[in-house]
Amino acid sequence: MTGWPLAEDAPNTADLAKCVHCGLCVNSCPTYAITGLEVESPRGRIHLARAVAEERIPLTETVQEHWELCLQCRACEAVCPSGVPYGQIMEKARAQLQAAPPSKSWGRTFRRLVLRQVIGRTRVLATLLAPVRFFARSPLRKLLRASGLLRFMGPIGLLEAQLGRPGRPFRPNNKHEEGDVALFTGCVMGELFGDVHRSTVRVLERSGTHVFAPRNQTCCGALSAHDGDLEEARRLARLNISAFEASSAKTILVNAAGCGAAMKEYGDLLEGDSKFAERAQAIAAKVLDFSEYLVGRTLPVGRLPAKVTYQDACHLAHAQGISTEPRTLLGAIEDCELVETDGADLCCGAAGIYSLLQPAMSAELRQRKALEFAKHKPDLIVTANPGCQMQYEAAIREAGIEARVLHLAEFLDEAQATSTRSP
Amino acid sequence: MSMSTKLLDELRNLVGSENLLHKPEDLLVYELDGTIDRALPEAVVFPANTEEVQGVVHACNTHEVPVTPRGAGTGLSGGAIPARQGVIVGTARMRRILNVDPLERTALVEPGAPNIQLSEIAAEHGLFYAPDPSSQKACTIGGNVAENAGGPHCLALGVTTNHVVGMEVVTASGELEWLGSYGPDSTGYDLRGLFIGSEGTLGIATKVAVRLLPIPETVVTLLAIFDDVEHASETVSAVIGAGLVPAALEMMDRVTLQAAEEGLRCGYPPNAGAVLLIELDGIEELVQEQVQEARAACNKHGATEIRTATEANERTQLWKGRKGAIGALGRIAPNYYLLDGVVPRSKLVETMGEVSRISQKYKFPVANVFHAGDGNLHPCLLFDERDEGSTAKVLEAGAEIMQVCVDAGGALTGEHGVGYEKNRFMPLLYSETDLENMRRVREIFGNSGTFNPCKVLPEGTGCGEMAHQKGALQAAGPEAYV
Repeated sequence: MTGWPLAEDAPNTADLAKCVHCGLCVNSCPTYAITGLEVESPRGRIHLARAVAEERIPLTETVQEHWELCLQCRACEAVCPSGVPYGQIMEKARAQLQAAPPSKSWGRTFRRLVLRQVIGRTRVLATLLAPVRFFARSPLRKLLRASGLLRFMGPIGLLEAQLGRPGRPFRPNNKHEEGDVALFTGCVMGELFGDVHRSTVRVLERSGTHVFAPRNQTCCGALSAHDGDLEEARRLARLNISAFEASSAKTILVNAAGCGAAMKEYGDLLEGDSKFAERAQAIAAKVLDFSEYLVGRTLPVGRLPAKVTYQDACHLAHAQGISTEPRTLLGAIEDCELVETDGADLCCGAAGIYSLLQPAMSAELRQRKALEFAKHKPDLIVTANPGCQMQYEAAIREAGIEARVLHLAEFLDEAQATSTRSP
Repeated sequence: MSMSTKLLDELRNLVGSENLLHKPEDLLVYELDGTIDRALPEAVVFPANTEEVQGVVHACNTHEVPVTPRGAGTGLSGGAIPARQGVIVGTARMRRILNVDPLERTALVEPGAPNIQLSEIAAEHGLFYAPDPSSQKACTIGGNVAENAGGPHCLALGVTTNHVVGMEVVTASGELEWLGSYGPDSTGYDLRGLFIGSEGTLGIATKVAVRLLPIPETVVTLLAIFDDVEHASETVSAVIGAGLVPAALEMMDRVTLQAAEEGLRCGYPPNAGAVLLIELDGIEELVQEQVQEARAACNKHGATEIRTATEANERTQLWKGRKGAIGALGRIAPNYYLLDGVVPRSKLVETMGEVSRISQKYKFPVANVFHAGDGNLHPCLLFDERDEGSTAKVLEAGAEIMQVCVDAGGALTGEHGVGYEKNRFMPLLYSETDLENMRRVREIFGNSGTFNPCKVLPEGTGCGEMAHQKGALQAAGPEAYV
């Protein structure tokens, strides 16, 4: 078979034509940096998409492999002078793989099931993650670690290494609340990173902003979109649009880079939906990243004596173009020594569910971070996305250093609290 | 297009199966570089060291299969296109900076090391590597050597050949040689100089020794804004006439500015007809003096505004648009044909007029961005290769522009190389005797016609017009792949 199997979600021909194959992107690509192969570079992947579109080649297993090795970190998009919307091209290329995968596998069916029936259903997710939270703080975990068994448990072992110390969940309030500024709580973020949300709320309160979490909001849909399940991504986007429309929010704050990027692009995701296209754009226009919102406001003094490194979350730095704001916020904290590591804006290999799907490439990228951490020995590693936080939990163990991984909101919260305690 | 399985096996044994590509889908991206020519290789190999490069070259020579070296594939004259198919030798696995000697101010690097990486590592010692092609984030030192690459900062400091002191090379015949030296090398023929700019037709550099320069004490970048290209061009002559040798002197026209601003948001004035980027560097006092002189020249010749950047981040911002300008043209049209002619500075205005006439005649919009200081034009003809016959037409328009440059007393190419794209035009510039001498040089290095074939020198037959005619490729399309 030649051409696109799922015509309505085919990569846009005009978008593909924007690539003038100048090659300026190749060195920004983590998979090119590791492999040195142009087929594992943005230019190579776009060229393959073009070849499929022009019916020069069929959608083969080899094409699938090259597309699936892409982290969708969008570092290439940030350096592309032609403005090729690589992220969208890749999501649509994956939609083709979803529709007619040249190489069928149980794994694909299974992960689609998990994304649709667990991640995309807040109650199911909450029920399933409750025991995980319990395990994370139980003696059983220590025992399991000490036993050395985890090394033989594949993805479970990896997940254990990535699991930090999750606090209580933070879920949208069920009663109706009013306010100008809403907080997006997300899926895994709300269940395993409740502390980050609580820190976010406190930091915002201290800067004079009251936030509330509108009810009926759900997962942003980014994980499904990246996997090419655009149908599910659109379902979740519509639910969120309706939920935020029903609230009084004029601004929607997001503290997870991946969710923020996805929500800012709801307009593109739903452009073919006559009922939702305009509404999606309206909601997307209200979305701001936490740091983007905070940087323009007056903050109380913060103090935290520690050596800190900030690691860019790809979907904040590359997809949303936000890399100076978090550093400005960190830089304003007294007594904190900010160290820049090599490759701070290079993907850590978490990339949503990528670390489970491409463990070898993910591990190579994580080890690059680990080497930098071992070299600089920071006390705190600060980032802005749950997936990255999890990956750094594993990286500090590899680096063999004593460090804590914090979300930017947690860091600011701690610095402000320290400062108020000791004037 | 089946290559002998025996050769494939030999290559696999040499470099390992994970470093040999031969599946049709894997080869696709290697059919192109940064310009419009296309040709598919039959295999791509990635040797890890000199011995493997030598082994690969020997194996291909034995099987009489063409070899085409490739760096990052950012070239702009089809130099890395395997015009007669065969094997591409990629340098991507040889990308280490082997050593930086801050006392001698030299570095030894592998050919696949990106240009930018060399400068970043040198900066730790207060040094930099001067040639800075606009593709420096991606392009490799090996590719720079092959093309004798330039860049905006080559006006005062010279191009690659002025900064490479020596090289270890595997010649076309597979011999291992060292050309040049670290010290002053004034005796005998300059084989090093011969190799640099030979566009991968004499061999593959496997180690490159470069000279590094101290980062200047003060750097000031001026952005001068003009209503039109004429006034900007007059200013260029005035600046040089005043005896200044800026580190860089670059011009962009209206079309380019708009694309760059839209794509890169670098703060360029949206309605300007042309801008000049003038960079002055050196000792603080001297630079300040020169800045005044340059400003005076700009004001005298109708600059409507002059911006000054002294801090590194401000300068990077001003340069961002220039360095990404060519790529940003993708926002206006899906394809560009980028030319590289050189004319005497005094002929700039006149030549620009001719370029604009040719652009109107062929109905291809033109964007101009160029190294004004050394008269190196980069007119970009904008087109869409999906329009029937447009590629052939744009090449015709390009030929006219090259003729105009040569007639003005200039040359075909300033820094992008002749490659596959311009080899047909070499007779415009060189006599049959010249060309014959060049052919003999190639033979001395053991190139009997299969080492990066169809590049630099015009070929009678054999290379065909395949790469220029996408139709032929497409006709061979799906069936050839499945």
